[in-house]
Amino acid sequence: MSKILVHVATAEGKIKRSSLEVLSYCRKLADDNSLGLEVAVLDIDPARYADTLNNYGPDKIYTIKHPIFNNHLSSPVIDALSALVDKSAPRLVAFASTESTKEVMGALAARHSAAAIPDVASFTINGKTVETERPVMAAKVLSKTSSSSDLVFVSVRSGSYDVAEKPGSAAVEEVAFDFDEGGLKSILKEVISSAGDKVDLSEAEVVVAAGRGIKDEEGRKLIEDLADTLGAAVGASRAVTESGLFPATLQIGQTGKVVSPQLYFAIGISGAIQHVAGMANSKVIVAINKDPDAPIFQYATYGLVGDLFKILPLLTEQIKQVKAD
Amino acid sequence: MKLSVCIKQVPDVSAPISIKDGTLSQDSDRMVLDAYSASAVEEALVLTEKHGGEVQVVLVGPEKAKETIRKALAMGAASGVHIQVDDISGLDSSAFAEILAAWHKKSEYDAILTGKQSQDTDAGLTGGMLAWSLELPFAANAVGLEFENGSFIVKRQGDSGQEMVELKAPCLITCSNDMNDPRIPSLKGIMQSKRKPVETVTPADLGVDIASLSSDSKTERTGFKEVPGREPGKKFEGEAEEMVSNLMNLLENEAKVL
Ligand SMILES: Cc1cc2nc3c(=O)[nH]c(=O)nc-3n(C[C@H](O)[C@H](O)[C@H](O)COP(=O)(O)OP(=O)(O)OC[C@H]3O[C@@H](n4cnc5c(N)ncnc54)[C@H](O)[C@@H]3O)c2cc1C
Ligand SMILES: Nc1ncnc2c1ncn2[C@@H]1O[C@H](COP(=O)(O)O)[C@@H](O)[C@H]1O
Repeated sequence: MSKILVHVATAEGKIKRSSLEVLSYCRKLADDNSLGLEVAVLDIDPARYADTLNNYGPDKIYTIKHPIFNNHLSSPVIDALSALVDKSAPRLVAFASTESTKEVMGALAARHSAAAIPDVASFTINGKTVETERPVMAAKVLSKTSSSSDLVFVSVRSGSYDVAEKPGSAAVEEVAFDFDEGGLKSILKEVISSAGDKVDLSEAEVVVAAGRGIKDEEGRKLIEDLADTLGAAVGASRAVTESGLFPATLQIGQTGKVVSPQLYFAIGISGAIQHVAGMANSKVIVAINKDPDAPIFQYATYGLVGDLFKILPLLTEQIKQVKAD
Repeated sequence: MKLSVCIKQVPDVSAPISIKDGTLSQDSDRMVLDAYSASAVEEALVLTEKHGGEVQVVLVGPEKAKETIRKALAMGAASGVHIQVDDISGLDSSAFAEILAAWHKKSEYDAILTGKQSQDTDAGLTGGMLAWSLELPFAANAVGLEFENGSFIVKRQGDSGQEMVELKAPCLITCSNDMNDPRIPSLKGIMQSKRKPVETVTPADLGVDIASLSSDSKTERTGFKEVPGREPGKKFEGEAEEMVSNLMNLLENEAKVL
C-alpha cells in the first residue's frame, strides 16, 4: 500500500502544534485515499514522543535517535530524513512549514528527484495528483499548484488544519543512523537566543504584535505588560525588528513567521500586505491604530481608532481584573 | 574572493492585481529586482568591499530581464550572466535550480548567494536545490554574513533564536531581506553599469534542454484564486475608556476569547 510520511518537528521535549495539525489532517487524507500513514521523528530521544504520536493514529512510527539533531544543522537532518524516505517509500511527504523545514526541503526534494510544494494553505490527493493552494504575490492571491510526480514533498502553513486525535497503537521502529561528524562541511558555532524567544510565536494561542506606532521603550513596555497579562507571545512588524526594539525572531509576515492564534492584537501596525501575509489566519484580530484609514482595519474583527499610549494601559488594567475574577 | 549572486526578476507585487477566469492580471507589467535577491547582492558587495574580489550576478529569464541585471550592475556588481529563456511560465524553482546548476558547474566561485525565497512565489527552494546539485554546504535564511580564514560565518534566523554556522568555501547561502538595506544605485553607478560586461548564454549552451525541462516540470500551476475574505468587523472611534469597555465586552461575550 502506498503511504503518506509525516515528519514531525520537536522543540524542548514537545511535538510542535503545527506538526500535529499536519499529522491530524494526513490521517484523514490517508483514510480517504486508502493510504498508509507513517510518521518520522528525529530527536536526541525520540522514543518519548511515541505515546503522543499514537494519539493521532499513525500506522507506523520511525525514529532516528542522535545528539546531532540538537545542533540545528541541516545536513544531518537531510541525511536522516532521506534515509527514512527511502525506507518508507511514500508518495507524499508532509511537514509543518517551520524555518528548519524551509532550510531542508529544497535539498531533500532535489536528492529524491521529487516535486516540492512549499508553504501550502491546503492540499489534497486527487487520483495520481497532489493538489495544493498556496499564497503568492505577498499572499494577495492563492496559486493552485499540483504535481503528479511519484514523490511529492509539501510543507504546510501553521493554522491550516485543526488538531484532531484518533488514538491508535503503532509500533515504533528505531532506524540506525551513522552520521560522520568529521565529514561535516558546516559547523554550528553558537545559538543566540533572546528573551523573546521563550514563547514559540508560531504555536501561541494569543499574540500581541507591535508596530512602528509604539515608537520607543515606553511603548515596548506597554506591549510587554499587555502580553504578560494575557500570557501571550509578543510579535512584531518589520519596522520594529529593524529598529532593534524587538528581536528579529519575533517578526511576523512574508519574511517573518506565519502565526494563527485565537486572538491577535495588531498595535501601531499599519497592515502592509507583507505583514498581513503572516497573520491573516488569526481567528480574532484586534487592531489599535490612530489612523482610521490604516489598512489593518480591513482585517480587524474589532478595530479601535485611537492613541495606543492611552488605550493600552486601560486595556491591560481591565484584562487584569477579568483574569483576577 | 569571487561571489556569484543568483538574482530573479519578479513582477511588482505592490501593483493591484485581479483574477479573471483563474488567470492573474496585473494593472502594471512593471518588473523589478526581487527584494531577497537584492539583499543577496548588497551583502556580496559589502563582503567584497571588505575583503577584495568581485561580484557576478546570474539571472535566468527573458530578454526584458536584462534591465534587472543592469540594476544589480548599477548597485556595484562587476559583471552579469544572462541565461536567456524567453518563456519561463512553465518553469518552477527546481527547473531554475537545474539551469543555475549547469552554469555554476562551469564557473568558479567562493560562494553562491541567493534570496531565501522569491518575492512573487515565496517558494524558497532554489537555493537548497542548487546547493544539492553542486554538493555545496549551505545555510538558509541568513541575516548576517562574515568571512574569516577561508570560511563564511552565517548568522541565520532559526525557529527560535539565531544560529551562527560556519561554512567552508565554496558554499551557498540564502539571504533574508532582514540582512541589510540594499543600496539605491547612484547616477555614477548607473552610467558605469552600461559598460559592464553581460554574457548572454542559452540553456542549450549549458547542455540543458529547456523544452523537456518545461514539459517534465514536476509541479504545475493550474490557476489562481482569491484569498477567502474575512468577515467585516466592528470599528470604534471616540473616548479610550468607552472603546476599551466595548472591546472587553466583545472579547468576553461575543468572541469568547478571554
Ligand atoms: C519583501 C518584503 C518583505 C517584508 N516582510 C515583512 C514581514 O515579514 N513583516 C512585516 O511586518 N513587514 C514586512 N515588510 C515590510 C512592510 O512592507 C511594512 O513596511 C511594515 O510591515 C511596516 O511596519 P509597521 O506597520 O509597524 O509600520 P508603519 O507602516 O509605519 O505603520 C505604523 C502605524 O502605527 C500607527 N501609529 C503611530 N502612532 C500611533 C499611536 N500613538 N497610536 C496608535 N497608532 C499609531 C500609524 O497610524 C501607522 O498605521 C516586508 C517588505 C518587503 C518589501
Ligand atoms: N530565474 C532565476 N534566476 C536567477 N536566480 C533565481 C531565479 N529564480 C530563483 N532564483 C534565486 O533563488 C531565490 C529563491 O527563489 P525561489 O526558490 O523561487 O523562492 C531567489 O531569491 C533568487 O536568488
